[in-house]
This record gives sequence, C-alpha cells and structure tokens, in this order.
Amino acid sequence: MTAVTHDVHDVHVAPAPPPTGWRRLLAPGWLRVPWMMALFFGIGAGIVVLVRWAEGWEPIWNGDVITTVELTTVPLGFLAGLGGFDYWLRYASGAPTRPEDHSGHGARSWRDYFRINTDHKVIGIQYLVTTIVFFVIAGLLAMLMRAELARPGMQFVDNQTFNGLFSVHAALMIFLFVIPAFAGIGNYVIPLMIGAPDMAFPRLNALSFWLLPVAGIIMLASFLAPGGAFASGWTGYAPLASVHQPIGAVFFNMGVQWAGASSIMTALNFLVTIITMRAPGMSFWRMPLLVWANFTTSLLVVIATPFIAGSQFFVMFDHIMHTDFFNYQAGGYPLGYQHIFWFYSHPAVYIMMLPGFGIASEVISVMARKPIFGYRLMALSLLAILVLGFSVWAHHMFVAGMASWLRVPMMVTSMVIAVPTGIKVFSWLATLWEGRIHFYTPMLFALGFISMFVIGGLSGIYLAAVPIDIHVSDTYFVVAHIHYVLFGGSLFTIFAGIYFWFPKMTGRMYDERLGKLHFWLTFIGFNLTFFPMHWLGIQGMPRRVADYVPRFADLNMFISLASFGLGASTLVFLYNMIKSWRFGPAAPQNPWHSLTLEWQVSSPPPIFNFDEIPQVIGNPYEYGVPGARHAVFNGDREVELEEAPVR
Amino acid sequence: MRRGSIAQLVGIGIVCGGVAALVAIFVPWLPDPASRQAGRIDFVFWFVTVICIAIFALVAAVIIYALVKFRAAPGEDMDGPPIHGHTGLEIVWTAIPAALVTAISIVSAIVLAKNDHIPHASAAANAEPLKPLVVKVIAQQFAWSFQYPAFGNLTSATLELPLEKTVELRITSLDVTHSFWVPEFGQKQDAVPGSVNNLAITPDKVGHYPVICTELCGLGHAVMRSRADVLPAQQFLSWAKGQQKKLGGPAGASGKAVFANNGCNSCHTFRPAGATAKVGPDLDNLKQEAQRAGQPLQQFIHQSIVDPNAYIEPGYPKNVMPTTFSSLPKAQLDSLVAFLAGQAK
Repeated sequence: MTAVTHDVHDVHVAPAPPPTGWRRLLAPGWLRVPWMMALFFGIGAGIVVLVRWAEGWEPIWNGDVITTVELTTVPLGFLAGLGGFDYWLRYASGAPTRPEDHSGHGARSWRDYFRINTDHKVIGIQYLVTTIVFFVIAGLLAMLMRAELARPGMQFVDNQTFNGLFSVHAALMIFLFVIPAFAGIGNYVIPLMIGAPDMAFPRLNALSFWLLPVAGIIMLASFLAPGGAFASGWTGYAPLASVHQPIGAVFFNMGVQWAGASSIMTALNFLVTIITMRAPGMSFWRMPLLVWANFTTSLLVVIATPFIAGSQFFVMFDHIMHTDFFNYQAGGYPLGYQHIFWFYSHPAVYIMMLPGFGIASEVISVMARKPIFGYRLMALSLLAILVLGFSVWAHHMFVAGMASWLRVPMMVTSMVIAVPTGIKVFSWLATLWEGRIHFYTPMLFALGFISMFVIGGLSGIYLAAVPIDIHVSDTYFVVAHIHYVLFGGSLFTIFAGIYFWFPKMTGRMYDERLGKLHFWLTFIGFNLTFFPMHWLGIQGMPRRVADYVPRFADLNMFISLASFGLGASTLVFLYNMIKSWRFGPAAPQNPWHSLTLEWQVSSPPPIFNFDEIPQVIGNPYEYGVPGARHAVFNGDREVELEEAPVR
Repeated sequence: MRRGSIAQLVGIGIVCGGVAALVAIFVPWLPDPASRQAGRIDFVFWFVTVICIAIFALVAAVIIYALVKFRAAPGEDMDGPPIHGHTGLEIVWTAIPAALVTAISIVSAIVLAKNDHIPHASAAANAEPLKPLVVKVIAQQFAWSFQYPAFGNLTSATLELPLEKTVELRITSLDVTHSFWVPEFGQKQDAVPGSVNNLAITPDKVGHYPVICTELCGLGHAVMRSRADVLPAQQFLSWAKGQQKKLGGPAGASGKAVFANNGCNSCHTFRPAGATAKVGPDLDNLKQEAQRAGQPLQQFIHQSIVDPNAYIEPGYPKNVMPTTFSSLPKAQLDSLVAFLAGQAK
C-alpha cells in the first residue's frame, strides 16, 4: 500500500470529530450505503407506481419499467450514501460548506481506497485496480466462449447465454477496462507530469471513479435478469436490441450511461487540468506526449460520448416506452441507430488508442535513451487523428445499406488516417535508431505494441478498401483486426504503462523476470490465438456464432487451446503485481533515469505531489544533450507554496 | 549510417518480406471465387497485400536491426545521440504512405463501381441475355427465402442461379437486420427491415455454396444458413418450371414444400421433413406439446404459427419465433397445418 511520508499541510482547521453511535449511519461511508440504496429503491418504485396509478395504466406494478427506473435511482443512492454529493448538496441547499480539512485526501491505510477520496494518486490506483478486476472477469467470459467454440455444435452453454457472453465480454473490455484503465494511468501521472498538486476538480474526480463499479456491476448483473444477459452484441444494433431482447438489454443501455458519464467527467477534468494547471514554464510544446495524448483523447471523449448516450436512450425508449425511433413499421429508421452509434464508436477506437500512443512515446524515449523523433509532428499527428476520426464512422457500414455514394468518401478519409498513424510508427522506429536500448518489461511491451499495432493497422487497410470490406465485414477477420488493435495495441500499452509507473505508484519495484515471462507468454499466446482468425474470416466463418461448420473445427480447437494459454499468462501478471506491491524491494525516486517531472519526486510522491513548485526550463526528452534538464526546483519557492491557497 | 549497416538492414528486410510473402502465397487465404465480383475483389486483395508486405518488411527489419544493434550493455549508463528529427525524412514518410493509400483507394473505387454495376436492357436491344435476373431475398429469424418474380413469384428456400448471368438481388428483412453473404461470391449486403438493398452477382462457376447470415440477428443466428446452387442456364430453367408446377395452384401447395420454403427447418426438428435444428421446440413431439397447452392438435399448431407467443413451450424463451408467418396465404397455411398435424406422432 502507498506509504504516506508527508504530513497533511496545516490549514488551521481542526477536523470534525468522527461521529459515534447511531450517528455513524448518517456519516458518509459504507454504513450509509445500504439504507440509502434501499431508500432510493423505494423512491424509484414509488414514482413508477404513483405515475401508473394516476394514469390508470395496468398493471400498476410493471417489472420492466421499475427495473429501468431503479437502474437510475439505486446507483444514485449508492453514490449519495458513499458521500459523493455531500459537499455540493450542502452548498446547493445554502448550508455553510465545511472547510476543506483534507481528511479525504491521500491514503493512510488500505481502507482509504474504499471511500470517496480526492487524491488523484489514490483515484488513479482505484481506477487501475478496479479496471483490472473487470479485465479478469471479461477475460474469463472470453474463456467460456472459447470453450464453447472449441468444437462445432453446442456443448456448454445455450444460444442465449453465448450471445450474452460475447456481448458482456466486449462491453466490459471496452467500457470498464480499456477506456478507464487509460483514465486511471492518466489520473495518476498527468498532474505529476505537468507539475500540478492534483486534478482541477478533485471531488468530481472521485465521483467519476465511483461511477465505474456501478456501471460494471450493472452490466454483470444482466446475467441475473430474467431472460438472460443482453445478447445483441456490444454494438446493440436496433431493432434487434430494441424490441427483440429480454429486460437484460436495459442493463446494457444504462450501464453505458454510467460509464459514459464517468468518462465525460474525467475528460473535462483532464482538459481543465492540462489547460490551466501546468507548472510555470510548461508550455504546450514542452508537454510530454502522454499529456498531449490525454488532451486529444479528452477532446474526443467530450465531443463523441454524448452520441452513444443518445443512441442507448433511443433504444431503451423503444424497448420500454414503445417509441418508434428504430421501428420501421411506424416510420422509424433502423440505419439511424448505426449512424449515431458509430459516430461515437469510431472515435472511441481512438479514445482507446491515443493514450496508448502517449505511453509508448514515454517508454520508448526513456528506454532507448534518445529524444523522441519529431516531437512536434508526433503531437500534431495526434490532433490530425482527432479531426479525421470524426469523418470515418460510416466505414463500419459499407454493407449496411446506407447511401451508396457515401462509401467512397468514407473509404478515402479512412485511408488518410493511415498517414498520421504511419508518422507515429516511423517516428518511434527512428527514436530507436542508434539509441542505447534497455529491454525492461515496459520496453518489451512497447515494442510488442508497435509490431502488433502495425499488423492491426495493415489489416485495417484491407477493411478500409470497400470491395475487400464487403467480403470480410462481420466475419472473424474483423474479430482478428480489432483484437490486434485493442489487445496488441491498447492492452500492450496499458501493461507497458503499469510496469513503467509501478515503482512510482507503489514505491516498490516489480519482479523483472516475472515481467519478462509475462510479456513473452502474452505475446506468443496472443499471436497464436488471433492470427489464425484472419483466415477463418476470409474463408467464411461469421462472427458472433456459437456453432459453425465442421471444416473450421480443427483451427477453432487450436485457437481455443492457445487462448487458454493466453488467459493463463495473466496469472503471472497478477502474481507479480500482488507480490511486488507487498514485498518488492523499495523503488528509488527515478529508476529509469527519466527527465519528466513525475520522476523528480519521491516514490510514491508526497501527498500534494511537489514540496516545491517546479520551474520547467526545457523539453521533456532531452536525452543525450549534455546538462539538459526538463525542470528545476527552486528551494526559495517553498515559502510561496506554504502560503498558496489550498485547493 | 555506414554502407554495411544499410546492407544488413536490406538483408533483414528481404528475409522478413520473403517470409511474409511465403505465408501469403502458400496458405490458401481466399475461397475459390465463383463469381465475376469475387474475382475482382481478389485482385484488390492481392494489390493491398503486396503493399502491406513491403511495409511490414520495412518495419520488421528496422525493429529487428535495432533490437540487435542498439542494445545497451547491462548496467550501462549512456545516452544515445540527441537526434531531434529530420524534416526530409518526415516529409518522405508522410508522402509515401499518402501515395500508397491513394493508389489503393483508386483501385478500390474502380472495382466497387464495376461490382455494383447491373447491366439493364437497353431499349434498342431488348435481348434476353442482357436482362438481369431479379431475385427477391427475404430474410427473417432465422431463415432465408428467395422469390423469383420472373417465374410467377416462385419461392424457394435455396438460392438457385443460372451460370454467367448477372443476378440482381433485392434484399430485405421482415424483422431485424440480417446480412446476406456467400463467401465464394465475395458479395455481402445487409437485409434491413423496411428497405430494399440491391446486390449484383454474376456466378461463373457451377457448384453449391453456403449462404450465411453475418449480422447478429438473435438466438438462431449461427444456424441461419442456406445454400446457393449455380446451375447451367438450361438446368436452371427446368428447375424453375418444375418448382412452379409443384407449388402451382393453391390446392397443390403441399405442406412439406411450404415447410421447407419458409425455412421452418432452420430452427425446428421434424423428422418427416428431414429437419434437425434445435433452436425451437422439437416438432416430433407436437402431440405432447398440444396436451401441455391444453388445446386440440390442429388448433394448437395453427395458433403456434400465427401467434407464437400465445403458448411458450417450457424451456424456450419468448419472442424468438417470428410472428411474420401470420401473413402466409391461407391455402399454404392450411396445408402446413395439415402436414404437421398429419405427420405428428
């Protein structure tokens, strides 16, 4: 656990004495959660019953409607019980606000990770641990799928369960793992990198984290809903998702809302933090590329995420309130769903990729001991991807029956994205050139990322070319492609980031030998699992099927066996993380000899990050330049910090 | 860079590219094309593959070379040379990929235009060979049916096509989104409820090919398959005439043909019709099921077809059986009920 080595700054306010007796039930925390959830359940059910009674709708007690409303109110009860809204409610109701005593900041024991905490370092670790839990669960769902797919015909699960398995697998991996895991790394690292004491809105930051377990539990709970889990894929195409699904579908609609709200709030927080809280001298052109990447990603999130929120509300209204947005018999427009959905979900691909680009840049530059090649073009290519990312959504719809003239323009914009992406890959390669490369685990994952992402990018060229796409869309070729970019791309960079900042986050070193073992098992298992899927798809195996023709049996058995090995490699990672966090050797302040700011403070950092405000005087990647420094600390500034207003 | 290192780099690149080329050539990646369109798609595929192998070889060569040559000694504490960039290089690796993707886009756009093209009969020469054969493709959970307007709206559960004749498929769906795909034809098109999407196919090889639904459409998605048969033109004509006779008048509509043509066999088991699917209840047990529902057999069967949610056999979910069969013509519906009731044990 994080050992806090610095005291809370004295702010001349004595903390309120902890409540005793029954009053403990009123204090924010886990004792207040159960009865608040029950109360909000009652409120939700009451509203539904009251409205239906007043309008004379039969039956007054309608399970589907109540479930839908409860998926909004019960999570609110949970968050209110935990104390997510206390400060704002007090303020909004006109009561005097409590002076900030920083009792909710920093972690003194493991218990502090299980409550509303406003320290970005605690929140970052909360994010990462939570997302890894969901990663393991979603991975186990994939193992069940591969068990079923090992032989043609049906063996372990029925069709409804199988469709639920791949739908929940994808939804958890995307909304509860890749997107928030990057937010977690960013949460921990970004304020440190730009020389800020915390995020701009620490309470909002805490709330955005606690929305995540809510979203994840809702999605998992859909397996318990009558009729089974949502089974229309993570894409949830209407009208299949809007009229032909059991109530479990609403769990997906609402889970996406909570996860989406979480990522929008985090993104706003990142934007304001990066724009307003950079240390003196930290101009935009001196920001590390991870900061650039999170900046562009956050822009993508705030612009695009409302679209998926809208699409899921439309579907839910069609399902529960019998509106007709996507009901063609009443003049609805089924393709409209796909347009709205992909207008978010294509940019979402970059939301899941750009932070990985940032992590790769940090790791490669530090571990090749060279400045990043073409720094400005690297930052500009992120912005180019941001802009282009909004012009390509319909390449997911080449066979959907949309206006046929739209296909060629969408193909051209999709192809053009290969240019900024290529710039990034070639610049990383040029950074390696003539470097002094250290093959620590983060570097292995970063190099694994480049090679796998190149394969995923090249299969993306096939998919962008309309005639080939017409042949392979909705087949296992697409499954292979998205796993090369999301597993070989995003996941490898998440692993690189976790290993790279593990010493900073925990104050301990991970086991290098286990880390390397983890890399090689993952790298080999990954390729054996996913490369053969290209062939399956081109030859004629559609995706999202539990059963397939016998001629694909042998290869599917091979893939299933490889995937079990790939799944097992995660055990090495988990063992390494848990063991090293508990027993690893103490980490030095700067084990990688990096120039960026987070490595210029202790491991783990002081509770407010910097005892002195750093003065940024140069670029972040000046390796090999004699005497170059990114930032200096001025001892004289200590007084100034003490007098600075407390955030 | 020294001369020797360039030679080594090129050497590694040739080896990597060679290995990738061998994988591309000796693994039979593409299904045997059975239509003109598939042949053109294969051309785009190989065009892209050549470019991709070149890029892959370049990247792989640089990574492997760097891994070997620029490895730091253990415990070494040295930095590399502070190279910040090179404008010329950056222009090159922006311009070359841009040129390559432009070339791919142009080739793709031309092939797409050709594959979309459906030759229509000109007014001057209303010659039979130029006229495309129109087939209506109707998708529903979880079956395909194919209608031939040129043969009195003859309906078939398999797609029969004449050789070397461009067919215009008019694809639609009765319930959710499906997708029509024959891998050997290379062409795919979603079947969207409420709209009709066209697809051109010119079969150029006699044979039997699978028709596959590739868009997730519900519980029976995996088994929503049919067959496409490409027949020599004469054989196709005699097939069509024969079918027309079989399904001719309302009285002649045999229940067994209705069962097959509406795709009942893609979800149900029914031995007299040779059906073995397991998405829906086993129709060989219709009598017991009618007893459980507490209805006379004939009435039970009729109700289960036109209003499937009225009684749900235990162990099966609601809303899976499509409600669209209520629109079957009365004569066909009656003979289907008669067939099921007569053969039920």
